[in-house]
Order: sequence, then structure tokens, then C-alpha cells
Amino acid sequence: MRRKLATASWLVALVLALVVSACGGSSSDDNDKSASTPAANANALKKGTTVNFWIMPNGPQPQADMEKTVKPFEDQTGVKVNVEVVGWDVQLDRIKNAAVSGQGPDVTQAGTTQVPFFAALGGFSNLNDRVADIGGKNAYAPGVWQTTQLQGTDGTFAVPWFTEARAIYYRKDVLKKAGIDPATAFTDVNALQQTLQTIKDKVPTIGGKEIAPFGMPGKKAFDLVHHVMPFVWDNGGAELSDDASKSTINSTEAEGGVDFVAQLVKKGLFDKSMLERDGTGVENQFKGGRLAVWIGGPWVLSTITRTDDKNWVPAARANVGVAAMPTGPAGKAFTFVGGSNLMVFKASKNQNEAWALIKYLSSDAVQKNYADLLSFFPARLAPQEQVGKSDANHEAFYSAIKQGRTYAPIAQWGQIENAYKGRFGNILDSAAGQGKKPFSEGEVKSELDAAAKEADALLAQGG
Amino acid sequence: MSTPTLQPEVRADVTTTTEPARSPGPKRRSRPNRLPYWLIAPALVVMVLVHVLPAIGGLVISFKKFNLFTFRELFGAPWNGLENYRSILLDTDNPLHSGFWGAVSNTAVYTFWTVSGTLVGGLAIALLLHRKMPGQRVARTLMLVPWIVPSYVVAVLWAFMWQSDVGIINKILVDYTHLLGHRPIWLLGPNTMWAIVIPSIWRGLPLAILIFIAGLQAQPAELHEAAAIDGAGPLRRLRFITLPLLRPLIGVQLLFGVIYSAYQFAIPTVMFGSNPGPDADLMMTFIVRQSFSNQLYGLGAAASTLLMFVMLAWVAVWYRAFRRDLEVS
Repeated sequence: MRRKLATASWLVALVLALVVSACGGSSSDDNDKSASTPAANANALKKGTTVNFWIMPNGPQPQADMEKTVKPFEDQTGVKVNVEVVGWDVQLDRIKNAAVSGQGPDVTQAGTTQVPFFAALGGFSNLNDRVADIGGKNAYAPGVWQTTQLQGTDGTFAVPWFTEARAIYYRKDVLKKAGIDPATAFTDVNALQQTLQTIKDKVPTIGGKEIAPFGMPGKKAFDLVHHVMPFVWDNGGAELSDDASKSTINSTEAEGGVDFVAQLVKKGLFDKSMLERDGTGVENQFKGGRLAVWIGGPWVLSTITRTDDKNWVPAARANVGVAAMPTGPAGKAFTFVGGSNLMVFKASKNQNEAWALIKYLSSDAVQKNYADLLSFFPARLAPQEQVGKSDANHEAFYSAIKQGRTYAPIAQWGQIENAYKGRFGNILDSAAGQGKKPFSEGEVKSELDAAAKEADALLAQGG
Repeated sequence: MSTPTLQPEVRADVTTTTEPARSPGPKRRSRPNRLPYWLIAPALVVMVLVHVLPAIGGLVISFKKFNLFTFRELFGAPWNGLENYRSILLDTDNPLHSGFWGAVSNTAVYTFWTVSGTLVGGLAIALLLHRKMPGQRVARTLMLVPWIVPSYVVAVLWAFMWQSDVGIINKILVDYTHLLGHRPIWLLGPNTMWAIVIPSIWRGLPLAILIFIAGLQAQPAELHEAAAIDGAGPLRRLRFITLPLLRPLIGVQLLFGVIYSAYQFAIPTVMFGSNPGPDADLMMTFIVRQSFSNQLYGLGAAASTLLMFVMLAWVAVWYRAFRRDLEVS
């Protein structure tokens, strides 16, 4: 009896150990054994291979939409595409681990600001030899193409997939009630502030419901920096020096831009309770009719007509207007342009098939159809222009993409953005009366100085 | 004071040999009893694989210059000696330095309030539920509900409840009961500490209540009756009989409560995102942010190791205070 118990307990231990080690492996059997063959014969697609493709939750039905999109590719080439949806909250770690361990999918979606970080890890294929196939850099706007590069190298590590830019959403009925002409409401930052003040004074409620002039998410939002930085740019500031060697977030111009946003909070034009929410939370406040003005991306446009999106209230749904971001004192307007790119893992044994998939997703028709499903913009110039001309609201976003700007393509950008996010969050909290110290110009300066210090320390790690 | 025995017939002069009374054969007497070791072997193997080896790995990483650029080399990354530790503790130039001490102080405050609130609240509710009353069973079952809700859900729900404009808590405080004139903001600024302490207490109460109810039920009613006859009021009985008898249980909950609170991660992260702000940033949110968002793995590992040593010190302190309660009488 004793022996049986002992044997049983060792068996249990063995089984447990095997289960634990098996769970560590990924579903794909790609191992870093052979070096990937150079971009030789692109026609040599092996029928019956499976390309593992990681995407993020694009749109309300990400899995179904993607599978529908790749079906013609599968039929045409005989290559199966296995789509896996990876959430934005975990994608950075999963892609990083896949790149470093050599165990992961063949192709992955990545945020435009993440490409340099992933490229610096070294686990992604350099697509320089292949991109001529799809028109190379001339097929894309310069700001969009920049997101495929890594500062200090000559490689192309990604292919742009879809693009988004931020613009001003506003309630047409609120502006009408306040007697403001939409054509001049948001032309420059002063007009923006004046518009918000007028809304606060004249339209505290509409249709019997309270409405606040403006709101932005706080540090809970992963994209807080994308919301604040355009105002820094408008004011002539920049997140880093031109050669990306040091942080300039504490320059006078940058400080002026951040201070502009903080003052909106201080003056009560920016609803403080929005700072408690993340990006989606504030988006739903606009849809729910509690904000008159909001800065967001093009993905909201497609939800206006979706009756299954219950966040919209009828008054808001029927009165959406979009305007370009305001110009700054120097007369130039900037907005954050982002989106997603596609990257191929070096460890993938199906390099040709992976590239074929990317080429397919970069064809003009597929670009337009997929972007329409998500209500983003295609990354390629020709279909992008097509979508841009479809209606007035899309036109506003299209011109926003043309004034789009993005961050320096350095590997440490994600960390620097993280440091800035914390500091911007502290400044906005302080302006809302919730900071550790009372709000003052000195407060803004000291937080931005600390942000610059953190960013410089993060830059200094660079090899 | 040792726990009074409930069965007076078990005597202290019973022999402590493990051999039964009948005469053993020569074979059994020469073989030591190895069965217990075999039985704990699987648990030991799993613990070594899942806890001990990774902890050693983390310790090694804390001595290395392990960041975004050396990530690929894993354990081959360059040696950094004690620099990570020195930098966190002493280097005022290092922007991570101030974050570290902020997280230490927040964790200490959070642990103090959560553990006190859970123990005091748990005891109070257990005392209330200990008396016979109609619906006692129902009340005890309902008290367990907060415990079965996963931490993630607790954090998401309370985040909605704490919303200053539409959250139910402010609605009750301001709109329904008029206890407050203005709506406090819970999810920003200094109140963020309370925004995480209160759900933590809420979630920890059921276990405390269960343990205390069991402890109270094990106490002989005759002791209390005898004391009451001698003229001791409820408060004196609580202080001199109930609490001392509950000491071992209080000790166990104190030990695990402090460790669990010091390592709390889910509630602040889900409620606030990766950066809970200067008032609610706990050690674990700080370490995870530095390690995974800022890719400063060496520094994160060093901070983790320091936290582990503090917890080891706590266990040592606790053991000195409660050692007697662990001994079997």
C-alpha cells in the first residue's frame, strides 16, 4: 500500500511537470532552426501551409472581419491563414516574447509607434528586398512610411496597413444653440478655447440633459500622450530633439502646449470626471451625449449608423460634426497620426507565404474594404484618397492625415511615451485639484522637467 | 496561555512512540517511515519548479544590466553588480528613485489599513453572527459572496462605483442621503488610496469572518458563562477571554494578510491602469511598470528582491511574536 501511494505520488509529480512544460510552448511549431531563405522566388508558395497571423481587436468583430477578408487569399493560393486576436493590453509582451524566443506566429499586426521597439529586438525580417513589389515608399505618405523604419538602420521592418488620425468631433446642435459657426469654431487654439467657453456659458443643458463642453481621458488611457502632444506641436514644441538624442518636453514651447490643455481643466471647460476614465470611456461619454466636443479617431464614424452600438443617444447620433485640429500660434496645425503595420517574424518558416499575405492585404481593393469595415483609413495613398473623398466627415479626417505627425522612430519611444503619460497625467490631475501640490505654472514646469529627466535616462540606455 | 483541552480524558502521560502496542516484526522496526516524504515530494517538485527556480532567476537578473537592449541575451546580459540596488535606493538622479520610495510608503499605508480593516471588521461581524438568531445561516452564506468574486471583477465594479459623476457611491452620499454637499473625486488624487483599500477590505472580510466564526465556536461556552457569573461584562470577556483564545487565528491572518497586501497588484492595476498615480502606486504596480512598460528589467528585479527581503523580515518578526501559538500543546 505504501509503495503504491509512493508510486502514485511520483506519477502525479511527473504528469504535473510535463503539463507545466507543455503549456509553455506556443500553438505554432515554428522553431528558430533554419535561417530564413532570402527573398528568392516569391511564386514558390507551398500549398497547404498555414500562416499564423496575430491581429489586435480591430473593430467590433475582429475575428470574423479578418477571416472574411482573407478568404479570397486562401482560395487563390491554397495557403491557410490562422487568425488569432490578441488584445491591446497584452500584445506588447506577447509580440516581444515571440520575437525573442523564436516561438510565435508568422505575421503580426503592431502599432505604428511600436515598430522601432520590436525591430530593435532583432526578431523581425528586414523587408527591404520585398517592398518594391508593392510600390515601396512612394506608395505611402511620408509620415506613414516613417513608421516602418528604425532610426540608425537602413532596414524596413514593417509594411503600413491602416492609418488613423485624430480630429475634433463636435455636436452640431450644441454649436447651433450657442450661435457658433462651425467653420470658425476650431480654426486655431484661441478659437477652440473661446468656443468651449461659449458652450459652457450658453449651453449647460440640451434637450433636458446636462452637457459639458469638452473632455479627454486621464492617465488611465494608454493613448493620453496622443491627446496632449498635438497641442505641444501646435505651440512649436517637440517631444524629443530632432536627432532624438535628448528630451525637449520641458522647453518653453512644449510647456505652453501642455499648459493650454491644463488651463482648459482649470477654467472648467474640460470636465474633470473625464480624467477618471480611459479613452473608450470618454468616447462613450461623447456618444452618450454628455460631451459637446471631443478629440477622437475615424473609427467612431462607422458606429454612427450601427444600431447595435447602444452607446449612442439619438441626439448625439444625429448631430455629429468633424473638424480639423486647430492651428497654433505659428499658424500650423498638427495631429497625431497612427494606425497599424504588419511585421514578419524572422523565425517564421513560411517567409514567402507570410509575404504573400502582406502583399494581398496591401492590394488597393483589400485595403479599402478592410479599412471600411473598421472605419479606419487605408495606409496606401490611392485607396486612402478614395476613402477621404467619401463624405464631409471623412474629408476632415483625410486632411488631418495630411497634417499628421508621429514620434521619432527610436526603440525606446514606448518607454518615453510611458514616462510622459505619467507626468501629463499628474499635471492634469493637479489642474483638476487632485494633485499632490496645488496647480501652478511652477508645477507644470517641474513635472515636465522630471519627464525630461526620465526620458533622458531612458534614452541613455541605448546601445 | 495554552488552549484548554476539551477532552479531559486525553492525558499528558500517553506515550509518544509511533509504534502501536502489538509486537512489531523485525523488518518494520529497522526501516524508518519514509511515506510522508514521498507524499510531499510532488508538491516539493512543483514548488521548486514554479517558485524557487524563478525566484533565483530573478535574483540573478537583479545583478545584471538587463533592459530593452540586452533583453535578447537573457542570462548572458552584462554583469552590473550592486549598481541596480544602489541606483534605486540612493541615486537621486535616477528618476526611478522617487517612484520607489513613493511606492514603499503607499504599500505600507495600504497594508496597514487593509489588514486592520479586515481583521477588526471580520471580528466584529463574526461576533455579531455568532449569536443565535433567525436567518443566521442565510446571513453567513451572504457574507461569503465578496470572496467568490474574482479580483478583476471587484476592481472593475468598484471603478464604476467610484466614478465621481455617475457612480453609485457618490449618488448615495450626495443625492440620496445628503451626507455630503459636494461630490468627492475618488479615482484621482489622495482619495485613490481609499479607492483601493475599501474594495480590498470588502474582499478580505469573508475569509476573516469564516475563520473567526470557527474560532469563536471552538471556545467553550462554560468559560464565558463562568466569567459572566463572576461579574465580567461583555467588554472584559472580549478582552480577557475571547481575544487571547483567538490569538493563533489572529496571528495566521496577520501573516497572510500582510504578505498578500504587500503583493497586491490586481486591484490597483485594473482600476487605474499601469500608472495608478502617486497616491495609489503600490510596490507591485511600480515594479511591473518599470519592468514591462519601461523595459528596465534589472531595476525591476532589484526592487522585487528588496521587497522579498522585507517580507522575509516580516515573517521573522511575526514568528518571534507568534511562535508560541504555533506549538502543539
